Amino acid sequence: MASEQQLSAIKGAKVLMVGAGGIGCELLKTLALSGFKDIHIIDMDTIEVSNLNRQFLFRQSHVGESKAKVARDAVLKFRPHISITPYHANVKDPDFNVDFFKQFNVILNGLDNLDARRHVNRLCLAAGVPLIESGTTGFLGQVTVHVKGRTECYECQTKPAPKTYPVCTITSTPSKFVHCIVWAKDLLFAKLFGDKNQQNDLNVRSSNISSSSQQTEDVFEHQIDEDIEQYGRRLYDHVFGYNIELALSNEETWRHRNRPRPIYVKDIIPTELIHENGNLDKDSIIGDSSVSAMAILGLKNPQDLWSLKENSKLFFEALKLFFLKREKEIGNLIFDKDDQLAVEFVTAAANIRASSFGIPLHSLFEAKGIAGNIVHAVATTNAIISGLIVIEAIKVLQNNVKDYRMTYCLEHPSKKMLLMPVEPFEPNKSCYVCSETPLTLEINTHHSKLSDLVEKIVKAKLGMNLPLIMHGSVLLYEVGDDLEENEVANYAANLEKVLSQLPSPITGGTILTVEDLQQELKCSINIKHRFVSLKLSITMGHGLAWLNPTLFLVFLVELKLTRVKLVFDLIMEQFDEEKEPDGMILSGWTQALAVEKNYNGASTSQATSLNTEEDEELQFIPTQIGKKRKLSDIFIAASSDNSCIPNETKIKRKADEVDCNR
Amino acid sequence: MAEPKTKYDRQLRIWGEQGQTALEKSSICLLNCGPTGSETLKNLVLGGVGSITVVDGSKVEIGDLGNNYFVDESSVGESKAKTVCAFLQELNDAVKAKFIEEYPEALIVSNPSFFSQFTLVVATQLVEDSMVKLDRICRDANVMLIFARSYGLTGFVRISVKEHAVIESKPDHFLDDLRLNDPWPELKSFAETYDLDTPDPVVHKHTPYVIILIKIAEEWAKNHNGNLPSTRQEKREFKDLLKSKMIASDEDNYKEAIEASFKLFAPRGISKLFIMLPITC
Repeated sequence: MASEQQLSAIKGAKVLMVGAGGIGCELLKTLALSGFKDIHIIDMDTIEVSNLNRQFLFRQSHVGESKAKVARDAVLKFRPHISITPYHANVKDPDFNVDFFKQFNVILNGLDNLDARRHVNRLCLAAGVPLIESGTTGFLGQVTVHVKGRTECYECQTKPAPKTYPVCTITSTPSKFVHCIVWAKDLLFAKLFGDKNQQNDLNVRSSNISSSSQQTEDVFEHQIDEDIEQYGRRLYDHVFGYNIELALSNEETWRHRNRPRPIYVKDIIPTELIHENGNLDKDSIIGDSSVSAMAILGLKNPQDLWSLKENSKLFFEALKLFFLKREKEIGNLIFDKDDQLAVEFVTAAANIRASSFGIPLHSLFEAKGIAGNIVHAVATTNAIISGLIVIEAIKVLQNNVKDYRMTYCLEHPSKKMLLMPVEPFEPNKSCYVCSETPLTLEINTHHSKLSDLVEKIVKAKLGMNLPLIMHGSVLLYEVGDDLEENEVANYAANLEKVLSQLPSPITGGTILTVEDLQQELKCSINIKHRFVSLKLSITMGHGLAWLNPTLFLVFLVELKLTRVKLVFDLIMEQFDEEKEPDGMILSGWTQALAVEKNYNGASTSQATSLNTEEDEELQFIPTQIGKKRKLSDIFIAASSDNSCIPNETKIKRKADEVDCNR
Repeated sequence: MAEPKTKYDRQLRIWGEQGQTALEKSSICLLNCGPTGSETLKNLVLGGVGSITVVDGSKVEIGDLGNNYFVDESSVGESKAKTVCAFLQELNDAVKAKFIEEYPEALIVSNPSFFSQFTLVVATQLVEDSMVKLDRICRDANVMLIFARSYGLTGFVRISVKEHAVIESKPDHFLDDLRLNDPWPELKSFAETYDLDTPDPVVHKHTPYVIILIKIAEEWAKNHNGNLPSTRQEKREFKDLLKSKMIASDEDNYKEAIEASFKLFAPRGISKLFIMLPITC
């Protein structure tokens, strides 16, 4: 079937697969059957039960073992004479450096997260090796080809970042179920069972100045010898009752919103009934993973919608089980979607909160999906995508540039086509990853620290793993194993300094160079000083506003009301928390976004949002806006909706947003 | 205690309990278990179908090792149906797997009633003559049928089913019926409190798009014998009319109105066409 040329290209190829999950299993099988003889495969995960509906190289007996290794063994059974080298490791590991990547003819990604994809993209660019990217979600999928200098790199088009929510929405004004989940998972669960030293926004700030934060801290602590039932009740009343009452006292917040109602245990479950909570026979349940509150309460079907009362019972039972059966883990627990008890607790807590705020309740099954960011997945899409990957790989091995295609697998045929092939675009000239476009960062240099820049911009936005920051010839920050003690101390000190106070001060007009040696990515950033609010930055400083609402209010009272409004307007104009939860927009290659001016009513809870504003002062703008051009002018208009504009980009976005596959 | 069906968790999130139940009730028959058939069935087995029956009269040959990973060296000389069936069974304990060592072409001729027991027959690599015969058999027996053939880099899949009803269509977009073409009294009177030609630009910009649509629809109806836009031309004109009412280019409410104008066009009720359509089998 394949030509002699193709066959020999395949036989002589050395390929690297990144990911041995949904796409990975299908891909490994297809590569092996297509005649590939030298395959390397990296995957850091182990096999889970939920993988078995599509990752067909794995069996029930393999649960817990390394995906890369088991996949290799399974395929060797029907292709004993080929070479498959598994790595049970994280692809971001420094061992997988440019030289490692250089040994391959093509890299094939089967990843499930944006972060790793960007990392691999950069290494491929640095090594000059073609990359074939792919992703699936349910029935949707796509395969894209990235060849340095010829086509766009994976980051030439901005990919949507995972959704984040503003702090005050989570702590005070949830309006969707997902807000309740985030509250239950990242605040309540973390506070009760996670690292006690972590800062936690669980306590609602109030305008009632007299409430001391001291006393409320103890509420979450389980006192020695305290009866678990009582602890549970106390806790319940505090977070679902008292905290809500406290929030209600901020009149401003609720002027345009539905008021939540406080919920107290006694109204939901009469005292006697709590004691009847399930037949917990302490000795009969063994093992951590089998502990389940649902089971004890007789709540059998995770897809059922339970009432407020049932959710409350679940809350108590789950809490009890954590303390009785898994006490040792308390203080170290991180939410894991495969931890049944954790899922039960979070579901219950989220539902009670939802009930309080008039938000529809959800089943455990749904809640788990939201809390665990679970992506729906099925075998067929992965099988299709793996076939397409190999087809593109063969083209790449033969340098058939004209034949490269980005292929989108749709859920419903569009103009009778289920698979849409599209020609790749030329590299984006203003892509900071593959061309050397400088970026611009608007930031308050008197306010923001170097650590903000490093964590939120360089690492989070730019996706650098081990960054290096230079101002001219001065090294402001770097990471590495081979640093001297005094260097490490120096960098640590720098991180805490405000930008304008650094040894080599960063102010408006400064040009910084940031680099990641492993990714071989270098980038220049033009700094623009961003002026926030003169009054605030002089008088308050962000720390003060956080700790001392009193001072802030006193300050406001001293001003005439009009000037107060002006301050708020200024703030509101600068930071729309809804749009910039961290205050940072990597506007990428579109127009720099004007900050939206939509706020629903000024509220004193703005005091809280002000606290996060230290982050909101950072904003990204690329200095150029790239124009995309296709390799040729042939164009497939695919969508069948009303607009007359060929919206190939629409399909792209739809399928492109899929960056999960497992 | 693990959740029931954790294995199916990821696909339950696509088709829900109902979909899963439908799968588990189904019995599939595969004709010819070459690579095409085997790969097809693999995906169905992983998904948890009720039962599979593999029909293939051939034996495993060396050549099969090259393209069918459901057979291996040790199975050379054995019944292909048996080998593939065993492999498929491994993928999912919950599926009942059977095999029949017979040539499908022969079975189609000698025992047509064999097929009536299945929910779905997947017929791979059959010649046209057999496909036509099988199609008739399945239609008569009310059995769903899918043909598939693959050859190198080309192939086809063809579905042959009778008309059937889909009750839960799970649309991606829910068209909210705002009753814009016939607003109820309270909505009407609410709309009347608005003056679209208000001199205040801020108020103009903040008039809700629903109100805009209702009012402009009224205006249109007055000039068109009480009818709403129905032809493409008219719809375009209506949109232009909306556009002409904008006093500034950044009026989002008008833009929203234009985008949502189709909500006005969709008539209420079930079209008369549907009432008269006879159902033929």
